[in-house]
Amino acid sequence: MDFYFGLAQLIGVHTLLGLSAYVVLLTGQVSLAQAGFFAIGAYVAAMLTVLAGWHLVPALGAAALTGATTACAVGFPALRVKGLMLVIATLAFGEGVRLFFFNFDYQIARGDVKVGPLGGEGFRQIRFFPENGWTTLEVMLFIWIFVLLVMALLWWLDRSRYGAVLRAVGEDELAAQSAGINLTAVKVSAITLGGAIAALGGGLYAHYATHIEHLSFGILLATFAIAYPIVGGLASVFGTLAAVLFVQGFLVEGLRDLGDWRNLLFGALIVLAMNLRPRGFLDAGNLRAIKRLFWGGGRGAP
Amino acid sequence: MLDLLQSASDGVLYGATYALIGIGFTLVFGVMHKINMAYGAASVGGAYLGLMVLKLGAGLPVPLVFFGSFLAGGLLGWMVYLACFHFIPLSSPLATLMSTVGMLLLIDEVIVHTTDGMPQNYPALFDDVMLRFGEFTLRGDLLLVFLVSVACMAGLLALLYRTRLGLATRAVSQQAIAAQLCGIRLAQVNVTTFVITGLLGGIAGAMIGAAVGTLSPLLTTPLTVKGLIVTVIGGLGSVPGAIVAGLLVGGFENVIQLYRGVTERDLYVMLLLFAFLVFRPGGLFAPAGGRN
Amino acid sequence: MALLELQGVSRHFGGVRAIDGLDLEVREGEILGLIGPNGSGKSTAVNVITGLYPPSAGRIAFDGRDITAAATHRRLSEGIARTFQNIRLFGGLTVWQNLWVAQNSARDRAARGFLSRWMGGQSGAREGIGKLLAFAGLAGREDELASNLAFGEQRRLEFARALAAKPKLLLLDEPAAGMNAGEIADLDERIRAVRERGVTVLLIEHHMELVMAVTDRVAVLNFGQKIAEGTPAQIQAHSAVRKAYLGGDH
Repeated sequence: MDFYFGLAQLIGVHTLLGLSAYVVLLTGQVSLAQAGFFAIGAYVAAMLTVLAGWHLVPALGAAALTGATTACAVGFPALRVKGLMLVIATLAFGEGVRLFFFNFDYQIARGDVKVGPLGGEGFRQIRFFPENGWTTLEVMLFIWIFVLLVMALLWWLDRSRYGAVLRAVGEDELAAQSAGINLTAVKVSAITLGGAIAALGGGLYAHYATHIEHLSFGILLATFAIAYPIVGGLASVFGTLAAVLFVQGFLVEGLRDLGDWRNLLFGALIVLAMNLRPRGFLDAGNLRAIKRLFWGGGRGAP
Repeated sequence: MLDLLQSASDGVLYGATYALIGIGFTLVFGVMHKINMAYGAASVGGAYLGLMVLKLGAGLPVPLVFFGSFLAGGLLGWMVYLACFHFIPLSSPLATLMSTVGMLLLIDEVIVHTTDGMPQNYPALFDDVMLRFGEFTLRGDLLLVFLVSVACMAGLLALLYRTRLGLATRAVSQQAIAAQLCGIRLAQVNVTTFVITGLLGGIAGAMIGAAVGTLSPLLTTPLTVKGLIVTVIGGLGSVPGAIVAGLLVGGFENVIQLYRGVTERDLYVMLLLFAFLVFRPGGLFAPAGGRN
Repeated sequence: MALLELQGVSRHFGGVRAIDGLDLEVREGEILGLIGPNGSGKSTAVNVITGLYPPSAGRIAFDGRDITAAATHRRLSEGIARTFQNIRLFGGLTVWQNLWVAQNSARDRAARGFLSRWMGGQSGAREGIGKLLAFAGLAGREDELASNLAFGEQRRLEFARALAAKPKLLLLDEPAAGMNAGEIADLDERIRAVRERGVTVLLIEHHMELVMAVTDRVAVLNFGQKIAEGTPAQIQAHSAVRKAYLGGDH
C-alpha cells in the first residue's frame, strides 16, 4: 500500500508543478523557469526545517514567499522580452538556479555529522517526516491538502475577473492593452503566483524525498512542468491534473514492466498528442460536453 | 596573460560549433517564428548516426564519418519537421513548441537505448598536430573543427545570398505573406530550412564529437542551452549575429573556466545572457523592427 | 472646448514619415471624421493617440492633461477607448467575459475596491454588462465564445467592449469595413446613440456616405499631414481633397 501512497505523493507534487506553469501559460507566456522556482522552494524549506529547526508549515510558507519574490524579481526584466525570447530567458534562468545549487555549500555541524547542502553531493538527511513519526499515508494526505487548496484557489481565480483578464492577455496582448489592461502588472502577477506554487511544490518534494540534488531540477523537470498543462489543455485546472495522472500514474507506474522504454514512449506520446490534439486533452469544447454530461442539458456556466 | 590568450583562442575555436547550432536555431526562427527545441538533440543524433558509418566499415577514412553525420543530420531535420511541424496548425504555437520538446526527449532516449548510455569514442583528425608560436599553441583538431565550421557557414551564407532558394528563404523570413503572394511555396521553404539546418547540425555534432573525443547523450542539454543562448545574444533571426555570438560565448566560457573552474563556468554564461537580456534585449544584431 | 489635442505630432518608421507634424483637435461632444487615402496615416494617428506607438515628435493632450508619454492602458482609464480595423476580440473568451475584462475605467477603479474589482465573481458586474449587451444587440448570447460570433456581431461586440470602459472619447477605426448597407445604417444609429450619451467620437472611415451623414466635422489626411478640415459640405467641395482622392487636376 505504501507504494501507492508514495505514488500519490509524487503525483501531488507534480500537479503543483504543472499548476504553477498553468497560471503563467494562461497569459500566453511559456516559462521554463518553473523547475528553478521548484528548486528554490525545495532548498529553502529544507534548510529551514533541517538547519533552523522550523516546523514544516511555516517553512513551506517561507519557501512559497521566496519563490514568489524571486519570480517577481525575474519577471520584471524577463517579461520585457516576449514569446520565444522568454522561453529561452526562463530556460536559462532555470539552468542558472540549478548551477547555483550545484555550487552551493552551507553545512553546519549537528552532533558528529555535518548537515546542509553540499554542492554536487546535494542536500541529504531532510528528515522532518521520519523524525516526527509521520506515516507515508499522513505525508500523502498532508501533500494533497496543499494540492487541493491550490486547485481550489486556481479554480476560483478562473471564475474571477482576474482569471478572465489573464486569459485575455493570453489571447491578444495588443487588444488587452487597448482595453485598459496593464500587461506588465498582469504578467508579473501571474509569474509571481506561479513561482509561489512551484516553490511550495518544491518544499513538499524535498521533505518526502529526504534528499535533493541539483540534477533533479534540470531541464527535464522544467519541460514536465509545461508539458502537463499543455498536454492536458488550458481550459481548466483539471486538464493539468489529468495529464499528471496520465503521465505519472499510467505511463511511469502503470507501464512499469516496460522499464526504460517508458521514457522513450513519453517523448513519442507527447509528439503524437500534439499532432492529434494541438489544444490539449481538455479544451473549451469538450469541457462543455463533459459539463453537459454531468449537469444535464443546461448551458455550461462560463 | 598567456594563459588568458590561450584559453580564449581555444574557446573561440570550439565556439564555432556553438555558432553552427545558433545558426540552426536562428534560421528556423527567422523562417517560421518557432523554436525547434529538438535541434540540439538532432545534431548529436546526426553525429551518432555518422558513427555507424565507422561501425559498418572499419578502416574507412574519418572525413567519411563526418560526411555521414552531415547527411544524417539533414535526414533528422526532415524527420523533425514532419513529426513536429507539418501536421500541426501554425496557430498553435504551444503545440509545436511542446512537440519539439517531446522530440528532444525521444531522440535523447533513442540514443541512450541504442548505446546503453555509454559514451562512444568519436574520431578526430590532426589531434596530434600542434601549431606552436612560442608558448602559444593551436591544437590541430580544434583548428580543423573551426575551419570546417567556418567553411559550412560560408557555404550557408553563399546559399542564402547567392541562390534563388536563399532568396526565397530570406523573403519568407521577412514577409511570409508577401512572399507567398510572389509564388513562393511556404511549405517547401519550411521543409528546406529544416533539412539545411539539419545538415549544419549534423556537422556541428560531428565537430563537437571530434573536439571532445566522445559522444554522449549528456551533450544534448548543454548544447541546446548554449545554442539558444547564442541565438539570443546574436539577436533572434540574425545569422551573422549567431556566428559572432557563438565565437564570443565559446571564448568567454573558456576564459571563465580558467579562472573559476568548470562547475561555475556555465553559471557565468547564464549571467552573460541576463546582462544581454537586461541591457540589450534585441541582441548584438537585432533585425530592424518592422511597423507591426 | 478641445477634448483631445494633437500638436505637431510626427511618427517616423525608419525613413518613412507615416504622420508628419499633425495638428488635430477633437472638440468635446462632437463626431469628428478622419478621412484620407490608403497610407495617408490614419491608422498610425489612431495608434499614436492610443499609445501603441510613441510619437517621434509633438505632444498630445487629453482632457487638459498631457498624455504624450502615458502607457496605452493608462490612456484607456483616462477615457480613450478604441476599436480595431481588423476586429481584435478575445476569441477564446465568452461574449460576457470580453465585456467584463474591459471594465477598467478610472470611475470603476474609484467605485470598487481592489479585491472586489479583481477577485469578484460575475454577479457584481451583471447590470452594467446587461446594458452593453442590449446596446450591441447581443442579449442572450453572453455565453457564446466570441470567436463563434458572425462577423457583424463581432463588430458590435468590439464596439460594446470599447464602451465598457466608459470612455469620454471613442476611436472607431474603419468600423464599416466589410459591412452591407443595412449594417451600416445600423452602425450610423449606434454612433449617434453613443454621442447622445455624451461620448465624443473620432471616426476613421473610408465609407464616405457614412462619414458625410454622421459627422459634425471632417479632417482630411494625406501623406501624414492634414490637408483640409471643415464641415462635411465644405470638405466635399474642397479642391485639395478631390485631388488627394482622385489624383490629377480635377
